[in-house]
Amino acid sequence: MTVSALTRPGERDRLIVKLSEIDWVFTLTLCLIAAAGALMLFSIAGSSWEPWAAQHAIRFAICLLMMIALAMIDVRVWFAIAYPLYVAGLLLLVAVEAVGDTRLGAQRWLSIGGFSFQPSEVMKLGIVLALARLYHGVSAERARLSWWLLIPAVMVALPVLLVAHQPDLGTAMLILMTGVAVIVLAGLSWKIIAAGAAAFLAIVPPFVLFVMHDYQRERVLNFLQPERDPSGTGYHSLQSMIALGSGGLLGKGYGLGSQSQLNFLPEKQTDFIFATLAEEFGFVGCISVLILYAAAIFMALRAAYLSHSHFGRLAAAGVTATFTVYVLINGAMVMGLAPVVGIPMPMLSYGGTVMLTVMIGFGLVQSVRVHRYSEVTSGKGTFV
Amino acid sequence: MTQPHIFFEEVNERQGVFHRRAVLLGGFAGVGLAALGARLAYLQLLETQRYEKLATSNQFNFKLAPAPRGLIVDRNGAVLAANRPNFRLMVARDKDMDPESTLKILAGFVPMDDVRQRRLLRDIRQAPKRAPVSVMEDMSWEQFSAINVRAPELRGVTADMGEVRVYPHGGAFAHVIGYVAKVNKEDVEAAGPNTDPIMLHPGFRIGKQGVEKAFDAELRGRAGANKVEVDANGREVRHDEGGDIPAIPGAEIQLTLDVDIQNRALEVFGEESGGAVMMDCRTGDILCMVSAPSFDANRFVRGLTGAEYRALAGYERKPLLDKCLTGLYPPGSTFKTMTALAVLAAGIDPEARVSCGGGMQFGGRFFHCHKKGGHGSQNLHEAIKNSCDTYFYSMSLRVGPDRIAQAARAFGLGQLFDIGIPGQKKGTVPDPAWKKRYFSKTPAQQPWWPGENLSYAIGQGYLQVNCLQLAVMTARLANARKALNPRLVKSVGGKELPPGSAVPDLPFSQEHLAYVRAGMAAVTEAGGTAFRASQLGLGDILMAGKTGTAQVRNYSKGGPRGKGGPWSLRDHGLFVAFAPVDAPRYALAVIVQHGMGGSTAAAPRAREIMRTALLKDPDLRARIEKPLPMPELAPDAGASDMPDAPVVVTPGRLTPTAGPATARKPGGSA
Repeated sequence: MTVSALTRPGERDRLIVKLSEIDWVFTLTLCLIAAAGALMLFSIAGSSWEPWAAQHAIRFAICLLMMIALAMIDVRVWFAIAYPLYVAGLLLLVAVEAVGDTRLGAQRWLSIGGFSFQPSEVMKLGIVLALARLYHGVSAERARLSWWLLIPAVMVALPVLLVAHQPDLGTAMLILMTGVAVIVLAGLSWKIIAAGAAAFLAIVPPFVLFVMHDYQRERVLNFLQPERDPSGTGYHSLQSMIALGSGGLLGKGYGLGSQSQLNFLPEKQTDFIFATLAEEFGFVGCISVLILYAAAIFMALRAAYLSHSHFGRLAAAGVTATFTVYVLINGAMVMGLAPVVGIPMPMLSYGGTVMLTVMIGFGLVQSVRVHRYSEVTSGKGTFV
Repeated sequence: MTQPHIFFEEVNERQGVFHRRAVLLGGFAGVGLAALGARLAYLQLLETQRYEKLATSNQFNFKLAPAPRGLIVDRNGAVLAANRPNFRLMVARDKDMDPESTLKILAGFVPMDDVRQRRLLRDIRQAPKRAPVSVMEDMSWEQFSAINVRAPELRGVTADMGEVRVYPHGGAFAHVIGYVAKVNKEDVEAAGPNTDPIMLHPGFRIGKQGVEKAFDAELRGRAGANKVEVDANGREVRHDEGGDIPAIPGAEIQLTLDVDIQNRALEVFGEESGGAVMMDCRTGDILCMVSAPSFDANRFVRGLTGAEYRALAGYERKPLLDKCLTGLYPPGSTFKTMTALAVLAAGIDPEARVSCGGGMQFGGRFFHCHKKGGHGSQNLHEAIKNSCDTYFYSMSLRVGPDRIAQAARAFGLGQLFDIGIPGQKKGTVPDPAWKKRYFSKTPAQQPWWPGENLSYAIGQGYLQVNCLQLAVMTARLANARKALNPRLVKSVGGKELPPGSAVPDLPFSQEHLAYVRAGMAAVTEAGGTAFRASQLGLGDILMAGKTGTAQVRNYSKGGPRGKGGPWSLRDHGLFVAFAPVDAPRYALAVIVQHGMGGSTAAAPRAREIMRTALLKDPDLRARIEKPLPMPELAPDAGASDMPDAPVVVTPGRLTPTAGPATARKPGGSA
C-alpha cells in the first residue's frame, strides 16, 4: 500500500474508495477455498448439486456479500458495539442454560422467532471484539504483567465456562484459545505464558479423567489408543486416515473416492471433508488447499499488521487466530493427530453456522484493513 | 474504568509488541500448516500402500455363493431331485434400523402373522449384526419385485434369488433320497471346527436323510464367492463379476431306481403300510424301494410346522419309518424257501413224504398248519406250493437250526448291505450259538429247544428280516448262481460304482436251487397259494413267488389272524416273487404291514409292480407283444385252470379284469 487513497482524509470515506481498498486477493482466496468445498460436496453427493453443493455455494455467496458489506462498516462502529455484543453473548449463553433446546444431548441451541442458533457462535466474535476494545486503552506495561490482567482473564473465563457447561467442549476450547491468542498478541509476559502452558499441561489429565463427560473421555482415550475400539469412536480416525492414505500423490480421481462415496468416512460432508478431498485429489490437492489456507491466514494477519489502531490490530489478529485454530485442529483431527472434536474445516465444510461466523470475522478483518487509518477513540481520550 | 494516559512511546511500544507477536502468530500458523503438510506427505506418499489395502478391504467383500446342488436321477436319467429358483426375503440387523417396524412394513408385502413376526424378530435380534435372517421364502414374482423396488429405502432388507431343492415325485422317493433341510445348531456342531462356511449362509440346506445325507458332500459341490462392492453399512453397491470365484457345482448322482416302477409301487400300496423292494436278478440293481405310507419331502425342505410334524410322527402307520430298511418283520412262509434249501442241502430226498393232518403234536403243544383239514401227503415240491406247515415242522427236526441259519445267511438274511444310504437294521437269523450269546445274562433261556425248530422252519420265532434282505434272498434264488449284492447308487458324478454281480457263487448246488424255484413257480400255478393273485396276464411271461403271512402275536385269543382285532395286531402279509419264470430278470419282495395274508394283501400288489417292470423292459416287451401261437393254446391242465385268457394285454392297463373264480383258495399260508 504505497500510495493509498485512504491517506487522503476526504477520500477515505467514499464508498468506491472503500471498495477498492478491500483485499480482493484475500477475497479471491476465500472464494477458491469455498469453491473447493462445493466441488467436494458435489462429488460426495454422487455428482449432484443436491443436497449440499448448491446450498454451500449459495450460502457462501450470501456470506461474501455480507463480508463486503461489513467491510464498509467503520472500525469505530465495531469498537462501539464490542462490549454490547459481548454482554449480549453472555446473556444469551445464560439464556440457553435456562431455556435452550437440547439437541443430541447438548444444550446449545436457542430458538428465536423460528430461527435457531448457537449463542456460543456469537461469543466467538464477541470475545475478540471485547478484548480488543479492552486492550485498546491499556498500556503495554499493564498488558504485559500486572494484576489488571485478571480483568481479561475473567472476561475469557465466563463464556468458556458457560459453553463448556452446555456441554460443547470444542467451542469452549476455541473461545479460550481465541481469548488467550488476543491476550498473548497484546503483549502478555512470556513468564505468564510459560506458567499458563505448564498449568494447562498439568490440568489436562485430571480434567480428562474427572470432569469430562463419558463420550468426551472416550474420544480422548481413543485418540491416544486408536485400537481400543476400531468400530466405535476410533472408527472415525481410522477411516479418515485410510481415506487420506489411500489417496496417494494424485488421488483416486474426482468422484472415485471409495471411502467417502461408500460412506465409510463419517461426517464426510462436514468435519471430514478434508479427508474426502485427500482421497480424491491426493497429496497435490491437499497441499494446494493448505496453501490457500496459509495465504488467507497471511493476508488476514497483514491486515492486522497494517492497522493504525490497536483495537483494529487486535480484533483482526484475534479473528485470524480463531481461523488458524480451526484449520489446524480440523487438519490434525482428520490426519489422526488430534482427538475427534466437532470442529469443521472453515469454508470447506458444509455447514452454515461456522461459515457465517468466519465470514463475519473476515468482514471485521476487511473493515480493519479498509479503515486502517481511522482514528479510534474511546469516550475519554483519543488514541491513534 | 478510568482511561489511563498513554504516551506516544507507549503507543509505539504497544505496536511494536503487537507486530512481534503477530509475526509469531504467523510463524505459528506456518509451522502448524507445515506440520500438517508433513503429516500428509507421510500418510499419502510413504504409507499409501498400506492404506490402499485397507481401503480395498473396506470396499470389497467376498460373498459366498452356494454351488448348485447336484441332481439325483433315476437309472434312465429322469430327475428325482432338482433345484428350482426361490425368491427369498432377508432382513439383517443394522444401525439406524428397527427390525420391528421393518417387519411391520414387510408384512404389507408378504403374509406374516404376529406370531411369525415375533419369532423372526427374536431370530433377527439374536443373529450377529448384518447377518441376514431369512424372513420369507418362495415369494411370488410379484412379491419379489414389489419388495425389490422398496428395498433400497428399507435398511437391512434384501431380496434375492436363490435355489431350493425340489422333489418332483413328492413322496415316492422320500425314504430313499431323503430330503434337505435348514442347517441347525447340531449340524454345525457335528461338522466340528472345520465347518464349511457355506453352512452358515442364510437359507442353506443340507441333506438330512437317505441319499441326500449320505452323499451330501458330493451333492453340495464347493461354494464360490461373488466379489461385491459394499458401503459402510454392508450394503451391496456393485457386483464385480471379474473378481468372482466360481462355484464348483455338486455332482450328479444316478440311482438304479426306476421312476415308473417306484411310483407304481407307492400307488398300489394305497392306504396300506409296508415296503416293496425290487431288484434286477442279473445285476443286483435296486429298481424300486418304496415304503408306504410316505410323506412329501418338499415339505421338509420348506420346514415343517409343529402340527405337520406331530401329525406325521403320531400316525399309527408311521410314514417317517423306512419299512424297507429299518422295519423288521418275521418273514413267515416266504422263509420256507430257505428251509427247503436246508432240507435239500442236508441230503434229504425231496420226494420223501410227510402226511399233514392239519398240524403236528410236538413237545406237549399242537402246532397248527394254516389249513385246518390238512394237506394230506406232501413232498417238498407240494409243500412249497401249498405252503404246508406240517411238512416243514417235520423236516425242521431232521435238518436242525444250524443248517437253516446257514442257508438264510447265505441268501443275505440278517445281513447289512452297503447300498450307500444309512438306516438298515440287521434283523436276526437265530441259531443255538446266537441264542446263547443273546441270553448271556439269563442262562435259563440259553438252550435251543427243539420246539423252536418248528417255528423257525416257517419263518417265525426269533427270526426277523427287513424287506431289502427278502428282496436280496429272492434275487439270489432267481439268479441261481451268484450271491448278488444290491446296488442303489449307480454313479456319482459320472463315476460308475461297482455292480452287485461281481460276487462269488452261492454255496448251493444248481439242482437244489432249481428245485426250490420250481416250487415257487408252482405257488403261482393253479392250486398254488398265490395262483389267483399272481397272474400277470402278460402272455407266456409268468411270475414265480412265495407267499407269507407272519404272526404278530399268538392266535389263541381273538379271531384267526387277528381279523377284526386292532390294526396293529393283525398279521403281516408278505410275498416274494421273480419273473419271468423261465429267464428271471426281476426279483421282488413286498411286505404289507398288518395286511393279513400274503396272498391277499401282498401278492396282488407284487403283481402290479412286477407288471410295470416287465412292461418297461424292452426285451420282454417284444416277447409279450409277439402274437401267441393260437393252436397250441391250452394243451395241459394248467391252461384249463386259467380260463378264457381273462386278461387282455395292453400296456396301459395294469389290472386283470378278474381272477379265475375256480382257483380261489382260502387264505394264504401260515
